[in-house]
This record gives sequence, C-alpha cells and structure tokens, in this order.
Amino acid sequence: MSASKTKFLCLFRFPAEPSSKPSSPEEMQAQYAAWKAWMAKFEGEFIPGGPLKRPGGAVVRGGQMTDGPFIESKEVVASYCFIEAATFERAIEIIQECPINLSPDHSVEIRELGY
Amino acid sequence: MPDQPVARPQRRDPRAGVLKVVGHRQPAPVLPEHYFRHECGRLVAVLSRRFGVRRVELCEDAVQTALLRAVQFWPQRGLPDDKSAWLYRVALNEVLGAIRRERHSDASVDVDQAEQVAAEASAEEAVYLEHEVRDDQLRMLFVCANPEIPRESQIVFALKILCGFSTEEIALRLFQSNEAIYKRLQRARATLRERMQGVETPAIRELASRLPVVLEILYLLFTEGYSSGQPDQVIRRELCEEAIRLGRLLDEHPVGAVPETAALLALMYLNAARFESRVDGAGGLLILEDQDRSLWDRELIHIGVSCLHRAARGDVFSRYHAEAAIAAEHCLAPTFKETRWDEIARLYQMLDGAVPSPINTLNRAIALAEWQGPDAGLALLEALNPPTWLLGYYLWDATLGELYRRRGDRERATTHLTRALGAAPTHAEQALLRRRLEAI
Repeated sequence: MSASKTKFLCLFRFPAEPSSKPSSPEEMQAQYAAWKAWMAKFEGEFIPGGPLKRPGGAVVRGGQMTDGPFIESKEVVASYCFIEAATFERAIEIIQECPINLSPDHSVEIRELGY
Repeated sequence: MPDQPVARPQRRDPRAGVLKVVGHRQPAPVLPEHYFRHECGRLVAVLSRRFGVRRVELCEDAVQTALLRAVQFWPQRGLPDDKSAWLYRVALNEVLGAIRRERHSDASVDVDQAEQVAAEASAEEAVYLEHEVRDDQLRMLFVCANPEIPRESQIVFALKILCGFSTEEIALRLFQSNEAIYKRLQRARATLRERMQGVETPAIRELASRLPVVLEILYLLFTEGYSSGQPDQVIRRELCEEAIRLGRLLDEHPVGAVPETAALLALMYLNAARFESRVDGAGGLLILEDQDRSLWDRELIHIGVSCLHRAARGDVFSRYHAEAAIAAEHCLAPTFKETRWDEIARLYQMLDGAVPSPINTLNRAIALAEWQGPDAGLALLEALNPPTWLLGYYLWDATLGELYRRRGDRERATTHLTRALGAAPTHAEQALLRRRLEAI
C-alpha cells in the first residue's frame, strides 16, 4: 500500500428477495461488460475481492453460534472488493460509478480500513 | 444518482452472428457477441438431454443461475480458461441440487438417474464437447417441432430454449404482447410435459420425420425477421441471424443435410446479403429498384450461391429452391434493368407448382411487367380470381396501383394506391406508398 493511499472495504448488498424479474442472458452480458469497464477505468485503485457463498454464514455471540442475521435481514452481503484511494471522497466517487447503481435496490457499504 | 457506466453499444459488424463459426472460442478476454445468450441455448439443450425434456424449466433456471454467477465472478477473477465448462459445471450442480431437494419432498423422484449423471459428469472432465453440444441443440430443435404444438408456439419455444431470448425480448421481436408470448410458451411446455413424461429425450434419428417442420420453423423465423417493415431495427435482424445459425447446425448433421436444407440456407444468405441496402439514410424503406447495389454483401452472396449449387443435387425442387433461385437472380443482376425478369417470372411459376398461392401470381405479374411491360402484368392479374383475403392485402392494391400508373391510367392508379395506403401495416411502407401516390 502506498503511503498516501488508504484502503477501503466495499460490501455489496443485494435484496434477499429480488423484487425485479431476472435479467435475460443478453442483459447479463451487458452487465458483465459494464463491470469490466468500471474495473478497467479505476485500475490502480480497484482491488478485486470476490463473491460470498450464499446464503450461509454464522454468527457467534457470547460463544453461542446462531445462523446469523441473514434470514431476517432484507439485504444480504453478496460480494466485496477493496478500493485504494487518496481520500474517502474519492472512494465514494468510484463506487458511485459502479454498475451496481443500475439496480436501485442494491447498495454498497464503504468502510475505511483502520490504522 | 451519479453518472452510470453503461455498456457502450458495440459497433455492429453486419455479418456478426451470420458468419461466426458456431461455438468458436476466442482467446481474447472479451466475450463474443451474444455469448451468454447462445451459451444459454447450448446449456439448456445439453442439460435437457441429460435430465429429460420434462425437466427443461429446471434446466433453464439452473442456466440462469450459472450465468448470474459468472457475472459476479468473472469481472473480478478473470475469464476461466474454458468458460463453457465452467458454466456447465455450475448449472449441472444447480440441477442436481434441485433434484435432491425434490427427493426430500417427494420419495417417488428418481434420483438414482441424477446421481449417475453426476458421477458420469465428474468422470469425464471434458464433458462439454463441441460436437455433442451441436447434436443436443439440434435434438432440441426437433423436439420443438413436435406436431402437437401449434406452429406459433413452436417458434416462440425455439426462440426461448435454443436462442436464449427472454419472454420480453421475444415479444419485442415478434411485435406481440408479453402475455401472448408467455401463453404460447406455456402451451409448448405443457404439451412436452404431458408427452415426454418419463421418456428419454429421443435421438435425432427417431425424430427425422419432423425435418419438414424444422425447416418451416427456420423459414418462418427468418421471414419474421426479414419481411418486417422495420428492417432498420437491429433486433429484427437477430431473428434472421438465429435462423441462419440453426440452419447451419442442421446442414452439418447427417439427418439435416438434404438439398432442401441447403436451399433454405441459400435463400436466407441471399436475402440477408441485401439487408443493409433496404433502408435509406432516414430509415425509410427502399424498394429493390432504388437500392444501392454496392451495399450488397458480396461474401454472403457468394456463400448463398454455393449453398444453392449444393441444393441442386438430386431431383427435389422445393419452395426453398425456387425462392433461393429468385433471390440469386436479384443478387447477381448488375442493375435493376438488367435483371433476368423472364427467369424470375418462370421461377415464380415453379414456386407456384411447389406451394400454390395467388401471391406467387402477384409476384410473377410484377416480373412480367418488368420484362414485357405493364400490360402483360395486368393481364395476368385481371385473369386471376383473387380470394377475399388477397383483396384486403395492401401489396395487391400497391401492385395494381403501380402497374396502372405505368400504363397511364391515373384514375385506377390513384384508387388502388389509396386503398393500399389505408391497409399498409407500417409507417415505412405507408411512406413508400405516399411517395408513389405523389408520383402519379
């Protein structure tokens, strides 16, 4: 990590029960192209993460394991990536251009990685 | 919302899809045009063969999931070495998972077969063999040609299953409502579920008697895309490209490699060659006489003519032979005036021998008028006893109007062209007729 840049964790949230109808193969190919273009545009600032296996997961609280908040939650974290940017504002700017914004019911949580 | 990155519309190669080798793998990190859509059709065909046509909906859902997974994985991880095998594995696991869940809720479900397929799949790593996939797609095409499914449902089902279009995309291309398309799909599915319950997907050889229906489906698919009054719409052209793609699959298989298939391919290539020239700069429709022949695609004409040569083997003469030969005459004529109209008139007569229709007489009259003058054409039409439906067809009046105009009968010309204008189905055709009326 370069001295002047900060790393941010980006969590991509999808609705647990998709409200819109599934995309057609042709639409999905366009989405793929849009994601590729976005990553290429911010090459150097974008660090790949990956998708999360769904819908699993567990929460351990006080030593007790539960299935986690996933079942009740209206949104699930489906994937993550990192942004390495000079400022928090810049990270937001990059995420604002992300193709995920094409789906109004999806969202991204951006967290600065500390210290 | 901020500026959204929208996929840049790709510059379109007019031959894209038409000339692309089926299943060709590109090493470049860019996906070939329509890759997901075509892969969808291929995967559904392969999975339906393994799990039975009665499970086709399950297979479609599994493929949908696999493609979605690819959209999530591939941009970050890069394209896998064998994209098709990757998608196949994900879809296969989805189907197996769904069948296992079925077993938990219904003990009668036969999982042994499914698990056997899974074992088989892991045993042979290179499961996604190109020639197998082609066979599977072709088999699916013959399944679509089930005589108990109405023709319009067959076409819609083929577009969904083999071409990977969504219901909405089909509706848009066939100028129908989503509901109508949905109903036709359901009808095809219901018939297949009923008829193919517990039955293995039959081999293509067993379905060979359906070949004429398969050819007709492809022919209708092509004309649906081609004879539209909106040829400027790229999406309509896709129907033609799909018809050619499937036609080539058929042509490469022993069951389908008959002269009629070659003739059908010839007619599709020879008409597709003239696609670009059919509209003017403003999107208006251009008749043959006004088309810029330098825009005709020489390469497609060449392929079409060689298909026509192949079609001439044997002594079969089908409607596809006649229509391909007519298209070839137009494509090979250096100018509109130098077209061999006598030959075209003769071919329309032969077409009428293969599939009798007063439309053939109408077309022959147009050729005769070019060859011998408007009187010859009008004599043929005046001798015809047209059925009621033909009288309501705008091209009947448009032809009569034009021929009377050339003869100098302004009154009759105006009457017929006005009537044609009232019945013309699209704006482009109306504009064309208005220009004709003004020229009287």
